[in-house]
Amino acid sequence: MNNADQPLLKLENITKRFKNLTAVNAVNLEVATGEKLVIIGPSGSGKSTLLRSINMLEEIEEGTILFEGREVGYVKHNAKRHLDHPHAISTLRAEIGMVFQHFHLFPHMTVLGNVMEGPLTVQRKSAAEARTIATDMLIKVGLSDKRDVFPATLSGGQKQRVAIARALAMRPKLMLFDEPTSALDPELVGEVFDTIHTLADEGMTMIIVTHHMGFARELADRVIFMESGNFLAQGTADELFSKGQDNERIRGFLNRLL
Amino acid sequence: MEVLIKYLISRAFVALLFLCTLTGICSAAGDYDQLFRQSSDLMAQGDLDGALLLLRQIPAPVAGEEAGAFVSSRMQAGRILASQNETNKAIAVCQEVLKLFPDNSEARNFVAALKDQLKPGWHTVLADTLRFLPSLAKGALMTLLLVLCTMLVSPLGGLLIALGRISTLRPVSGVCWFIIWFFRGTPLLLQLFFIYYGLPSLGITLSPFTSAVIGLGLNYSAYLGEIIRGAIQSIDHGQMEAAKAIGMGYGQAMRRVIIPQTYKRLMPPVGNEFIALIKDTALVSTIAMVELMRAADQLFNTYFNITALALAAVIYLVLTTIFTFIFEKIEYRAGIYEQR
Ligand SMILES: Nc1ncnc2c1ncn2[C@@H]1O[C@H](COP(=O)(O)OP(=O)(O)OP(=O)(O)O)[C@@H](O)[C@H]1O
Ligand SMILES: [Mg+2]
Repeated sequence: MNNADQPLLKLENITKRFKNLTAVNAVNLEVATGEKLVIIGPSGSGKSTLLRSINMLEEIEEGTILFEGREVGYVKHNAKRHLDHPHAISTLRAEIGMVFQHFHLFPHMTVLGNVMEGPLTVQRKSAAEARTIATDMLIKVGLSDKRDVFPATLSGGQKQRVAIARALAMRPKLMLFDEPTSALDPELVGEVFDTIHTLADEGMTMIIVTHHMGFARELADRVIFMESGNFLAQGTADELFSKGQDNERIRGFLNRLL
Repeated sequence: MEVLIKYLISRAFVALLFLCTLTGICSAAGDYDQLFRQSSDLMAQGDLDGALLLLRQIPAPVAGEEAGAFVSSRMQAGRILASQNETNKAIAVCQEVLKLFPDNSEARNFVAALKDQLKPGWHTVLADTLRFLPSLAKGALMTLLLVLCTMLVSPLGGLLIALGRISTLRPVSGVCWFIIWFFRGTPLLLQLFFIYYGLPSLGITLSPFTSAVIGLGLNYSAYLGEIIRGAIQSIDHGQMEAAKAIGMGYGQAMRRVIIPQTYKRLMPPVGNEFIALIKDTALVSTIAMVELMRAADQLFNTYFNITALALAAVIYLVLTTIFTFIFEKIEYRAGIYEQR
């Protein structure tokens, strides 16, 4: 059933509007299993909205989302489409990890508690099992020594690594990173990128929104340049970042960043 | 003829003398009553010393004589002297009555009360305290029971109302809005009256205690509902999104992530409400509940003794202080994760 050629994620013509502002404009995208996709673009171009649409944190107005070949998230009823049953949406979200710019760790839970929470509450695993999984994930992100402290005591980089561990504990098939290092002091960016690298090396499929071109170049199989809700260009990092970039908008954007 | 006239004159003289004596006696008794009236008039005009002087002119009766005016005059003088803080003189004047009529209970009680006043203050206060404490303690227990019941009911009611208010289902949020609007917008006293005196006409008769818990519970649920709603909405929206992103449903996210984070923020305003609650329980004394306020009121009305009220105030203060302390401890514990 699970065709190897079939993309893990397929977006067909998805459109998201806020009132009369079109944040994502009829976007098509295929992400193959194991692919590392980086999305760049100026502020307000719709990168976050696109990521959030993938796990239904934003409800799209038009288009279809296919995950592992299944149409997900929306059902048609009397020729009107609306969000699928909350349970179905939660089930989908459990398979897609998301890492936010501002971490959003649960402040009232210890580091271990944060990472255990998904397996425990969502997957209803036993406390012992959840603890084992969480401990493994904390080892993976290099924070097993912090397991019993509260997030308030952590540095930004450590918080983001815990957030990654929390997402990983659900054993997601796809990871979404929305500017995972933008809220960090420059010296803390590296540790988070290293963690993402480790994941990439393990074959995790991921979509990353970032402003770090060096990181994009190192990691990305494909880079998409987004502007005003559209994909303006896509290709390998080298193609997009090459000096010979003929798209003036992209060149201007890159020049401002570098 | 001359003899007859002489006889008649002598008779007339005797008769006159007799008459004079008679009227003299009568006029003496009448004078005392009039003196008493005059002194009352002087008293009414504020001339207490003049009134005293007149009262003292009424002499002690000789054995067998009518004694009403005398007793009244001495008691009146006693009261005037007592009002002038001349306690010793007041006792002396009343004891004149007791000397003649040792069984006069009015004079006896008054002298006893006056002697009580002469005792050192703390002694009386202590005696009153010991006398009043049992019924006040009983009342305080009822107050405490009401407070605890309301503290149990209203956070749950408040949470339901808060969740209802932020619900996207219009009818649910509408009903919860109405509950808050009604119970915050009308006096608690009126709500209690309605439940206890009004509902029976609809065929629902509730005991005073049930009425009190329902009234206080609904009222405080409404207040806490608004507080809890505010606390929930003050939690960073990212928390809900992060919870959803790992696959939690709305209920799970609320229960595991959002609501636990409101505890610390809730404690100061909720503590405030509960302190107000302790005092608001006094209102249920109007629906036939004997709690602390009612107990103090009853004692005060029986003994005209302000100590009963003062003691009630002290007990209320003790209760509010204890609860303030507990709330502070809970607030500290609830926010312990925020410490670096
Ligand atoms: N909840 C919202 N309500 C209304 N408008 C929104 C909302 N969220 C985003 N937008 C608008 O949609 C557009 C796309 O926003 P989005 O956050 O996706 O941009 P972005 O590419 O992620 O930008 P940034 O690099 O600053 O994160 C922006 O114009 C933004 O103002
Ligand atoms: Mg963004």
